Amino acid sequence: MKALLRHLFFLLLLISLSRSSAAIRIITTIPDLADFTREIGGKLVEVESLATGVEDTHAVPVKPSHAAKLNRADLVIALGLDMEHSFLPALLEASHNPRLQPGKPGYLETSAGLTPLEVPRTLTKSEGEQHAQGNPHYNLDPVLGRVIVNNIADRLSQNWPAHAAAFRAGRDAYLAKLDAKIAELEKLAAPLRGTKFISYHNHWPYFTARYGLVYAGTIELRPGVEPTPKHIVDLVARMKAEQIKVVVREPQFSEKTPSRVVEQAGAKLVKLAIMVGGVPEAKTYLDLIDYNVRTLVKAVQP
Amino acid sequence: MKRSKLVGLTSALAVSALSLAAQEANPVELRKQLEELLRVQRQQAEQIESLRKQIEVLKGQPAYPGAKSVTLEPKVEELQSRVEALTEASKKTFAGQFNPAFGFVGETVFGYRSTGSDKNGGARPGGFDANLRSGELTLQAAIDPFAKGYLVVNGSANTQGEATLGIEEAALITTSLPGNLTVRAGRFFADFGRLSFRHDHELPFVNRPLVLDSFIGGESRADGLELNWLLPTRHYLNLTAGVGTQLGGDAVASPGTYRAANELTFWTHLSSFWELTPNLTLEGGISGLLNDRTESRGGAIVQADGSTLTERRRRVLGLDLTLRYQPLDAAAYRGVEWGTELLFNHGDYDFDPDGSLDPANPTGTAGFPALSGDEFRGYSRTMGLYSYVATKLNRDWTAGFLFDWMQNLPGVAAAPYARPDTFRYSPYLTWKPSETQMLRLQYSFTDERRASGRADDHAVYLQWTYVLGSHTHGFRDR
Repeated sequence: MKALLRHLFFLLLLISLSRSSAAIRIITTIPDLADFTREIGGKLVEVESLATGVEDTHAVPVKPSHAAKLNRADLVIALGLDMEHSFLPALLEASHNPRLQPGKPGYLETSAGLTPLEVPRTLTKSEGEQHAQGNPHYNLDPVLGRVIVNNIADRLSQNWPAHAAAFRAGRDAYLAKLDAKIAELEKLAAPLRGTKFISYHNHWPYFTARYGLVYAGTIELRPGVEPTPKHIVDLVARMKAEQIKVVVREPQFSEKTPSRVVEQAGAKLVKLAIMVGGVPEAKTYLDLIDYNVRTLVKAVQP
Repeated sequence: MKRSKLVGLTSALAVSALSLAAQEANPVELRKQLEELLRVQRQQAEQIESLRKQIEVLKGQPAYPGAKSVTLEPKVEELQSRVEALTEASKKTFAGQFNPAFGFVGETVFGYRSTGSDKNGGARPGGFDANLRSGELTLQAAIDPFAKGYLVVNGSANTQGEATLGIEEAALITTSLPGNLTVRAGRFFADFGRLSFRHDHELPFVNRPLVLDSFIGGESRADGLELNWLLPTRHYLNLTAGVGTQLGGDAVASPGTYRAANELTFWTHLSSFWELTPNLTLEGGISGLLNDRTESRGGAIVQADGSTLTERRRRVLGLDLTLRYQPLDAAAYRGVEWGTELLFNHGDYDFDPDGSLDPANPTGTAGFPALSGDEFRGYSRTMGLYSYVATKLNRDWTAGFLFDWMQNLPGVAAAPYARPDTFRYSPYLTWKPSETQMLRLQYSFTDERRASGRADDHAVYLQWTYVLGSHTHGFRDR
């Protein structure tokens, strides 16, 4: 019996050690980045996302299986700006993969080159869970999606120069599709200009800036802090006074409080996704941005 | 204004130059030169005016087609002032740029226990109590490209209210060893079992389980070295092996003038993980501890009749299991965690019926207690476990129940006591309004079955924990 178990163990070890393919193994933190990377890398890359899309981006469960995946990866891609602070540093530490540590070629934050919004002037916990480097949800602005795509393509080309031409071709082909979608949504989103809305969490500053919406506040008291009854009373009063008719709920947050708010304020509740996979309709990044704009436009139309 | 001055100055210089040249040239040539100069001057003035207009136009132009027109000058000035402020700020704080990240965790436990410490074996008095259980200062930073380090200094109040301060952890961890290896060296909470490496404030309930307090000695604090290997397999397998002088929160260095290799403490932990479904996971581990010379770990145990027991050797085997249900789309609101750890303890003891072996009260020479001839060595095999289930009620609230069972170590449970087991039942409720503050209310009933010489105890605790400054989410905190 012991001999059988020993042989079985070594067999499993050998199977595990043997690489299933010669593709570049890439782990991304969110599915948006995985989608971009697949589009750029095609068959040259094998991509997996840690988050499936339905999670709270600030609280993706830390699973040891993720550490094992990172251990075998050649590159990890993150949004950065502390978006993944609750799970990625812990997983990278547990991955025992020196190539993937921050600052190394195997670690990429796609925020390089963009100007973050809402960089706090003062860092204090009295303002809730602040992001010292600015709001990290820039993936929700499709124009900044271009920045992400370029950053990924550049890093792939730097790390694997033999495939640079293929990565450039993949990038250009994808950017053409993305640009067409951006132009389409720019026209579609015209009715959104000037629309005031609130959301559960402050996910939307980049989206708001892109489509000319007016961000009027959050259901959360502060980022990461659930609302107090007084906050809800004040919020409803302000919504009535300022004619705020749209409340956005991100899928990972409870529907209970937003439903109460819209009922009391006479507003509409809209579910928008914060990353690919957040709603069934958002299977790709192009789907995601399309879904968000169309859903919101539908909500503001009389 | 400046441009008109420039034009005037240029004209004056030109006229002066002409007047000087006129002293040596004929009038016709001079007139031609004068006309040429005036033409150039007109062209320059026109060019300057044209450029001025272009600048004015550019100042009001949008950044890209379709964007709103903006006035750039005030924005440029604002940006310039911000850059200067940042540059100045970085100069002022440069000396502290490499300072580690600081954090502080404070924890106060308010409590009521129905029995005194003589009956419940606790470190705090019975009745009403307010206890600054710990104030932990943490520092961490990279040491160099090859290692990082951290320090945990713990301050607390003893039963007299006096402050005590000690280094709980101070260790370096390698960051770039090949072969999926890391080494940790120094003082640290060793990777043994499921919860023994957690600080008190990180536990999912108020008090450390009985079996960990008794068999491990509280936290798994060790002075030594630990090697960790993540096996290069698709399936998660992690192996730790460590060696040190002691392991356990109440550990003290072995006495004597020489320590042989086999008198060191050795420990190991193998853990694995199974993702049964995306929402349901299982973690399991097996731990082992070999401590061939425990000497005075925890001191001699004095029994009611005055006899003493001194632990000489211990071997501990542990099995741990954690089942988690975390619905990915609502992990902040819902979830259930069931955690269990079972420990087996095999200890060798020196039994001394008349208590003369008590090292705390030596009567012999050179620090060795006197032997009076009645001593004998025996062993004790005991086991115990804790098991808890915690369920999230919503984003802030968690309810849980902890069950403790332990066969007492000889000091508490030796003959003639008939029922050496201790049971404890602890329902609790946790409120975490933010990531950096937590309140926990817990009731504990300790069933000593009276046969152990202790009394049943009813206790209520309110634990209030807060975090200041930097905090991280470690892999072991999951």
